[in-house]
Amino acid sequence: MDLGLQGKKAIVVGGARGIGYAVAEILAREGADVAISARGEDSVKDAVAALGRYGTHVVGKPCNVKKADDYKAWLEWAIEALEGVDVLVPLSSAGGGMGSEKYWHNAFETDVMGPVRAVEAVIPVMTQRKGGSIVLVATTSALEAMGGPQAYNAMKASLITWGKQLALAHGKDGIRVNVVSPGPIEFEGGNWDMIKGTMEKFYQSQLRQQPMGRLGRPEEVAKAIVFLASEAASWCSGSHLVVDGAYTNRTHF
Amino acid sequence: MDRPVTHKPVTWDTSKMDVKRVVDVIRVTPETNTSRTPVDKAPDPELGHDVIPAARYYSPEFMMLEWERIWTKVWLLGGRADDIPEPGDYICTEIGKESVLIVRQHDGSLRCFPNVCLHRGNRLRPEGIGNAQAFRCMYHHWTYGLDGKIERLPDLCTFPQGGPPGMTLPSLPVTEWNSFVWFSLNPDVEPFDDYIAPLKDHLEPYHPERMAWKRDVTVEWDCNWKASVDAFNETYHVQGIHPQLQWYLDDVNVQIDCYERHNRYLIPFAAISPRVAMPSTIPPAIEEIMRHAGMDPAEYEGRVSDIRRDVQLFKRKHGKAQGKDYSALNDDQLTDDYHYMIFPNVALNVHADDIMMFRQRPHASDPNKMLYDVWVFELVPEGQPWPERVKHRRFKHGERSIGQVLDQDAYNLPTVQAGMKSESFPGLWIGEQELRIRHFHKVLDDYIYGPGGKQEGDL
Ligand SMILES: NC(=O)c1ccc[n+]([C@@H]2O[C@H](COP(=O)([O-])OP(=O)(O)OC[C@H]3O[C@@H](n4cnc5c(N)ncnc54)[C@H](OP(=O)(O)O)[C@@H]3O)[C@@H](O)[C@H]2O)c1
Ligand code: FES
Ligand SMILES: [Fe+2]
Repeated sequence: MDLGLQGKKAIVVGGARGIGYAVAEILAREGADVAISARGEDSVKDAVAALGRYGTHVVGKPCNVKKADDYKAWLEWAIEALEGVDVLVPLSSAGGGMGSEKYWHNAFETDVMGPVRAVEAVIPVMTQRKGGSIVLVATTSALEAMGGPQAYNAMKASLITWGKQLALAHGKDGIRVNVVSPGPIEFEGGNWDMIKGTMEKFYQSQLRQQPMGRLGRPEEVAKAIVFLASEAASWCSGSHLVVDGAYTNRTHF
Repeated sequence: MDRPVTHKPVTWDTSKMDVKRVVDVIRVTPETNTSRTPVDKAPDPELGHDVIPAARYYSPEFMMLEWERIWTKVWLLGGRADDIPEPGDYICTEIGKESVLIVRQHDGSLRCFPNVCLHRGNRLRPEGIGNAQAFRCMYHHWTYGLDGKIERLPDLCTFPQGGPPGMTLPSLPVTEWNSFVWFSLNPDVEPFDDYIAPLKDHLEPYHPERMAWKRDVTVEWDCNWKASVDAFNETYHVQGIHPQLQWYLDDVNVQIDCYERHNRYLIPFAAISPRVAMPSTIPPAIEEIMRHAGMDPAEYEGRVSDIRRDVQLFKRKHGKAQGKDYSALNDDQLTDDYHYMIFPNVALNVHADDIMMFRQRPHASDPNKMLYDVWVFELVPEGQPWPERVKHRRFKHGERSIGQVLDQDAYNLPTVQAGMKSESFPGLWIGEQELRIRHFHKVLDDYIYGPGGKQEGDL
């Protein structure tokens, strides 16, 4: 199956590690030009260097999505460097946390406004190009209780609602919008790597709840994201895809 | 021209170890140090690479040598001075088969006596702290004053030989230092200041007298006391039994300093071990450090790798307003674990806001058993009431939890003790990260055989 990504231009916000990096890597491998960002200067530099091996045009610059002006400038820069944009995967996240009101601001700024500002920057360009594909990344924690009532879960849930309505609004311009909700995904330096090391019992209890007896890997989510981002998913829009190895208990009617 | 020697606190090549990253730790140097506590790297002693014989951990003969040449010769930790502020307050503490009374006198000074009645040998008091106007033996009511003199000997006229010589309990050396009391079973022990050198400069800046009891626990462990000493004198085991601490401290970039008989290491806290990937979110245990300092981790905008330094700066800036006077400490001391071993049996984790220390005592007769005392003290901010003293609790290994980390430390020790007795185990195969263990055994040798006096065939 041809994904039709050859020569496409993709922006991955939060693409220096984990799921975001895996998305950027598959995109590059499939022939797309890619722009990535994250806060960490070294991690962006390393990721850009590693992605270069697929021979497409890969650019990156550190940027904090919480700094609206910097972030807008970064988005303009990325669109210019790629000479357009066909694919957007904004998955910056501030992670979880409870006990301080500040966590709500963090989740709002990073998990919600990170994608919102990116979408606003790309929509006019995609409209002009008569097409584009956006994949938002929520979480199964928006669907089923995880880690207590927290800003992260609630803010991520808002992306599911917003994503569907974006799809309705921009379908006429050939822009597709989908949402992917991953279950627990483990990789070196990721949250679950730390949980495994620091909260062994909790980690084991999660493992026991996994029908396949393991956590997911970044590329297993990234493949689903890239599929939705690609031409191969031309009739998928407004959908919400749970990628969790059957981890959630509910039936997704 | 002489060039300044660069400060090289870590002697091994961390890049070749089982690590994921090479980390350059920001440290206070001898030039930038603002504390009386030195940060200078002491030259590593040349102690060779020999196996340390396992029999030292279970041989009754070696235990006897330790008793004769160490326990009865050196200064020993007795307790906390603020437990005995008033005349008549006493600490009764045991070491091996001996028990002593450390008693506050009417003039405020301390005296120390063997806790044994001169009549037929009864113990005068059980272990613990208390207050007495006089020590009356429960058996025949011989009664001793706070100064040890026999005040009453019922029916003295029925002892034609009179009372025991001088009509007094023998006195043992005792002193107070840095809020703790110290005693010796050796009447001719060297001056305490000579014994404790060079640690006065190291430990006084922590002002333990501003800290109050937080925990006072004694656990009976089924291992030799030295197995416990060893367990706290290296960070090599963090990757083995304390995996969670790799998201709390840097077990690889550790400075070791060996002095004449004591030693220490300095462990960066609020740091991520080079053995694990740098996490994206702040580990919960480091969030705790931040909250304790008065920071809100949710507000923190820096990188995880910057937290240690930022906690130091925050404490430096806000400590005073929180009633915490950090002026005698350098910046590293505001986060890191300066971990001291006072020969032979005291391990202290000293921190700006607390001290967690262990006293490791031999069993009276069995080399395979010991007493593990956990003492924790916490800084009482100025203007806050002094908390009530916690109660002492004593139990056997495994009966209760002593906290996740110490449970992990304790878990192995009985199997270490059992394994050491195997005929196929000649002894400890010690690496550079365990230099303090080798140094400890060298000091044991100095006491037991005399400096350089260990002969071929000696244990
Ligand atoms: N891993 C899982 O189990 C899981 C499960 C469900 C959903 N998700 C979602 O999937 C996405 C990817 O998660 P992940 O676990 O692979 O990675 P992650 O650790 O959540 O990191 C996401 C990326 O966002 C960047 N980022 C964070 N804050 C940023 C900011 N203020 N500005 C710019 N970039 C920022 C990070 O890099 P820097 O730190 O260098 O900025 C990183 O590249 C996230 O949206 C997450 O919520 C993950
Ligand atoms: S043993 Fe103490 S009075 Fe007899
Ligand atoms: Fe330990």
